Amino acid sequence: MVTGHSRVEQAVRVWLPVGVFLLLALFPFYWMAITSVKPNAELYNKNMMPLLVHNPTLKHYVGLLTETSFLLWTWNTLLVAVISTAISLVLGTMLAYPLARMRFAGSGLIAITVAAIYLVPQPLLFLPLADVINRLDLGNTLTAVMLTYPTMLVPFCAWLLIGYFKTVPKELEEAARIDGASRLQTMRRIFLPLCTPGFISAGIFAFTLSQNEFLYALIFLTKSSVRTVPVGVIAELIRGDVFYWGQLMAGALLGSIPVALIYSFFVEHYVAGLTSGSVKA
Amino acid sequence: MTIRTEPLIGIAPASRHRRPASLAAWLDREAVFSWLMMAAPMLFLAAFVGYPFVYGILLSLEDRPIAHAGTFIGLKNFARDFNDPIFWRVASNTFIYTIIATLLKMVGGLGLAVAMNQNFRMKNLVRALLLLPFIVPTVLSTVAWMWMLDPAFSVFNWFLIGLGMPKPGPSWLGNPILAMASIIVINTWRGLPFYGITLLAGLQTVPPELYEAATIDGAGGWQRFRYVTLPLLQPIILIVTLFSVIFTFADFQLVYVLTHGGPQNATHLFATYAFDIGMGAGQLGLGASVALTMLPALALLILALTLYMRRQ
Amino acid sequence: MSGRSRRDLLKIAVAGAAGAAFAPSPGRAADKTVTLLHESSFIKTFDEYMQRTLAPAYEKETGVKVVYELTSVGSLPTRISTITETGSGADVTMIFLLYPFLFDEKLMDVSDIAEPVGKAQGGWYDAAKEAAVVNGKWKAIPHSNIGQLMNWRTDWFKEVGVTKFPDTWEELYDVGKKLKAKDHPFGFELGHGFGDNHGWIYPLLWSYGGHEVEADGKTIVIDSDETARAVDFARKFFKDCMLEDVLGWTDPSNNKAWYAEQISCTNNAESILWLAKRDFPEIAKVTDQAMNPQGPKGRFHLLNCISHSVFNFSPQKQEAHDFLRWVMDEKQLGGWYASADTYYQPFLHAYDNAPMWQVEPRNIPYRDAMASAHLPGWPAPPTRQLAEVVAKYVTVDMFAKACAGASTKEVIKNAEAQLKEIYKTA
Repeated sequence: MVTGHSRVEQAVRVWLPVGVFLLLALFPFYWMAITSVKPNAELYNKNMMPLLVHNPTLKHYVGLLTETSFLLWTWNTLLVAVISTAISLVLGTMLAYPLARMRFAGSGLIAITVAAIYLVPQPLLFLPLADVINRLDLGNTLTAVMLTYPTMLVPFCAWLLIGYFKTVPKELEEAARIDGASRLQTMRRIFLPLCTPGFISAGIFAFTLSQNEFLYALIFLTKSSVRTVPVGVIAELIRGDVFYWGQLMAGALLGSIPVALIYSFFVEHYVAGLTSGSVKA
Repeated sequence: MTIRTEPLIGIAPASRHRRPASLAAWLDREAVFSWLMMAAPMLFLAAFVGYPFVYGILLSLEDRPIAHAGTFIGLKNFARDFNDPIFWRVASNTFIYTIIATLLKMVGGLGLAVAMNQNFRMKNLVRALLLLPFIVPTVLSTVAWMWMLDPAFSVFNWFLIGLGMPKPGPSWLGNPILAMASIIVINTWRGLPFYGITLLAGLQTVPPELYEAATIDGAGGWQRFRYVTLPLLQPIILIVTLFSVIFTFADFQLVYVLTHGGPQNATHLFATYAFDIGMGAGQLGLGASVALTMLPALALLILALTLYMRRQ
Repeated sequence: MSGRSRRDLLKIAVAGAAGAAFAPSPGRAADKTVTLLHESSFIKTFDEYMQRTLAPAYEKETGVKVVYELTSVGSLPTRISTITETGSGADVTMIFLLYPFLFDEKLMDVSDIAEPVGKAQGGWYDAAKEAAVVNGKWKAIPHSNIGQLMNWRTDWFKEVGVTKFPDTWEELYDVGKKLKAKDHPFGFELGHGFGDNHGWIYPLLWSYGGHEVEADGKTIVIDSDETARAVDFARKFFKDCMLEDVLGWTDPSNNKAWYAEQISCTNNAESILWLAKRDFPEIAKVTDQAMNPQGPKGRFHLLNCISHSVFNFSPQKQEAHDFLRWVMDEKQLGGWYASADTYYQPFLHAYDNAPMWQVEPRNIPYRDAMASAHLPGWPAPPTRQLAEVVAKYVTVDMFAKACAGASTKEVIKNAEAQLKEIYKTA
């Protein structure tokens, strides 16, 4: 163990690079925060130093929460993200377990097909998917996106879980099999409970992708009451050629800070899940 | 508890009835179990990806104006695309955008991972904060960048003018090269944290003994990084890169909101161009053909990447 | 009754908990319902007039319920596309630009409403007919124009000795040069927006006599001296009068620049003045609006005709048709127009002198501009080829590339090649 670094030197080695990254990552958020509390007169004043605010106001936040359906959009977004994630985790597990644990003819082909699904671009799918959705009479419903988001989430969850599953030691399953448990029982009662970190990591990523999705929501959700935050904000805080900048930035912050807080809570598991999953894949 | 040595499959515990036992046993066969287990997700993907994909391919072979029936025209849409100068601009834009942004994210991500791979208080908080660019809905952060890149309000221009550049400073979204640079920067800003945090996870699995051994052999910091860290990180770098390449290549939101493909198609990507043709001009077949060309392009990129990394 | 109210209560509770989001699109109730699809208006009172005054009045009169579905600005084409592709979703819809032509096979022939309405209310502007008559049949009933006109800063123009808006492009250029020198440049969009770029580029092209394609829909005539002159003008106009940033502008950019007092002249709908009066009264005082300058071949404006169409596959198409006829009657129409303070310029001559124009006289040029307004791509007929030309920004980029430095000859040749390729199927 190399020793001899003074406290100050330690602090610099840590905080200089980390500080730079923090600055680069968070600078736009500082901008968003400033803009969200700037009154319009200051906002458009190009002679002022853009980084300061002289008369902060909560007008934009109030406007966002009371005059728009922002809270409804947030609720929709959360609902869609949670359910899409749940569906994707379940379907992903159902794909990943056999591919990770079982040997059978065609497993290689299936694995490649699942990975190849990622190559199919969303811009190609959205037109035919719109047709499918409308045939099912699901246009302008959250169900539409809850069914379509997993198409981009399931392959990723499956891939991540396969990697993770492969790192779990087989002894417990083998013991259970010897005891007479069926494969289904083994999977459900013995194996899956061991994989919580993997689920958390896949789940967090799926959740993020889902709440950030724009194209499908743009196509399928055109009524205000069913919009998600990305589409609702862009569509309604931008009326014609007028941007409601203050409210947009307020929406940006309100839409991301809570999620970040959740992340900080889960991030240990997130990282752990990724580590075992990815390195061995 | 007795230890059984014969395989369990096909052998029912004495207490079970014979017929359900053979059903249960059949269900327990590796192949049967696997296929049944995968049935639901496969059906789901077939319905929501497979079917639309085939439909999309058929669309691309049709002349299909919106609200009209389609007529089969074979590869004529693709022929039109190949004669369309915008199409080639879009293709080159997408490749440049993807390659440069991914390189920046990879290098920056590694740097971030190395910087974060030290112990200090508030590490978890910092990690969460660093993920914010990735978490915030892209369209919203793009709107913020729109303002930040307006020469009249941009802090960047403010600094540059302060350093002597003539007013009003660079036009970040008006100049084609700067506009491409801008979308690359925003995409990097957005994706770097994810790259970094993922690589950090990988770094943390490197056993410290390997570093010690290297140090004892006389390796300096940089050599340790090159010969210990990088090789071990390679699988994770590969996977994150593949993932990032796919998503960046198909990017839509950023450009749609920021420049809508301008100035003069300098930032048009496959996804935004396909959207304009399909939804703007109502040419569903032609739009599908543009979107479909993403597939071989993407496959090529991924193949190249995988081969390159395997060679290392 | 109690059973029904309990059911209603339950329905409300479920809808409230999960958001009406889970339910599929509202099925047809036992009572007749007509769904009117509209883009949410820039002027809120306009939407409210329909929701609070017109719809209830119609229901009272006929028993038919009117559902006013609002979709966000920019997503109406997508919504209409989905409805026509799937055959359901709305009965009457707002429609604009080239869409009556693209969707014409799915739209009901409403000549039987258009002709009488025109006769009763002073006659239609020619521009209205240009926008709504497809192959001799009215496929949409024109409602109003959202004009694109010049917005200018009276105080700064005064500083360089100009009190009336310049009459020709050349005169405007001279003023712009002086103003740019005083750090009050012009700002006309040259990027990939939807409205503000076409709003000045097409009028400029037309006023120099340039056309892309002839009225026969086949002959490509963009390579002409007239076009070259327009392009040359645009290039010097950009270089000597404008901010460089306009090359990357989208539609909201000029509004932002106006309120930040960066620019002294731009083209826009009435939204700049309208919002200025609300949020930036000092700027509103010195903002005025004027018709486009003229070129050697005349004065032109861009037509952005808002119309209403009935989907001919709708099971309620007769009810929708009757509702549309009712709305277009002057009893209803006059009030609806007035609720938006002339943001929507009526296409019927009967309203040319309506009192609403006196509410904000600065908007009157918008009314006068309608006589010389045309659809993008005019005089070519609005066909799918034209829609493709517009969606690919062929003309906008031709001008933009020239302004960015390319030679006039080159940009015209490129545009011509693109047009030839697109019109091959014509």
